[in-house]
Amino acid sequence: MQTTSLPNKQDDFWPDFLRGMKTSLPLLIAFVPFGLLLGSQAVQKGFSIAEVPLLTGLNFAGGSEFAAVGLWSIPPAILLLAGVTFLINSRHILMSAALAPHLRHLPRWKVFLLLFFMCDEVWALTLTDLHARPGRRFSMGFYAGITVCLYLCWVIFTFMGGYSGNLLGDLTRYGVDMAFPAVFIMLLKGMWKGARNALPWCVSLGVAVLVYHFLPGAWYVPAGTLAGILTSLLVVRSI
Amino acid sequence: MILHTPALLAILAMALVTYLTRISGYLLLAGRHLSPRMQAIMDIVPGCVLAAVIAPDFATGHPADLLGLAATILAATRFSLLPTMLCGVITTGILRTILN
Repeated sequence: MQTTSLPNKQDDFWPDFLRGMKTSLPLLIAFVPFGLLLGSQAVQKGFSIAEVPLLTGLNFAGGSEFAAVGLWSIPPAILLLAGVTFLINSRHILMSAALAPHLRHLPRWKVFLLLFFMCDEVWALTLTDLHARPGRRFSMGFYAGITVCLYLCWVIFTFMGGYSGNLLGDLTRYGVDMAFPAVFIMLLKGMWKGARNALPWCVSLGVAVLVYHFLPGAWYVPAGTLAGILTSLLVVRSI
Repeated sequence: MILHTPALLAILAMALVTYLTRISGYLLLAGRHLSPRMQAIMDIVPGCVLAAVIAPDFATGHPADLLGLAATILAATRFSLLPTMLCGVITTGILRTILN
């Protein structure tokens, strides 16, 4: 008796790859200017031009990279940088946990490779896609498509930002920074399953705003998330 | 094209920390079967993380930013990603010019 059908046949890899690339294209509105901005700030802070793509290519986590550039000194304070990076990226622990049930059928080395590239946007687009697909099947092609597009774009444009220096000036004057919350709000819309499930999100947002207001650093992310999880315990109990 | 050893070490340390956060959630849950209740919670958690990450945008005191955010949310209920982003960016840009 056949219990499961074979997931991810070779022949839907390339169509899904193209679909992933197409899905990630709008995000370049945010990735290109912010990549240029990060690169130019990094060079002004004392990064060499070769170190910029190394930072962005090995981390691939925009939030912690901006923080690292802000805290950069010569010589760099390694423990401080590592600590802040952990604080900002600790959300990835929960993100990869949420993805874990869908990666069960894959060999570990493949998962370890995939997770290297799991930035916020890659993760969120993948999860949204999973929820839209019958049987919630993970698509390797889709994941690879988004990753290739976003990763190359990020590394190339941060490098170009470092190479060309401060060409753009202060982007936030023009509202480009609104592109990021716009992406995240769209992703939340994709995960929308009724107001009841959204209550923990609102609690998470509210607590995070308060913590951000009163505590320095990136504590608002774990604090808000924790409050949201506690609320979801109550919501799920009453289902 | 120069690499300095202290900078290289700092970058590698950050890269290692980032990678560990990305695999640890998977390692914690891989091979475990989640109860339906746990599964329901795991469906809600990602949204909590996303909401917390954008909190600084909501914590701003500038009316232009808050109105821009409201316009973005309104656009998100009707449009797909690209028009929503454009709507948010352009509205915020115009509001900042007018209100500041």
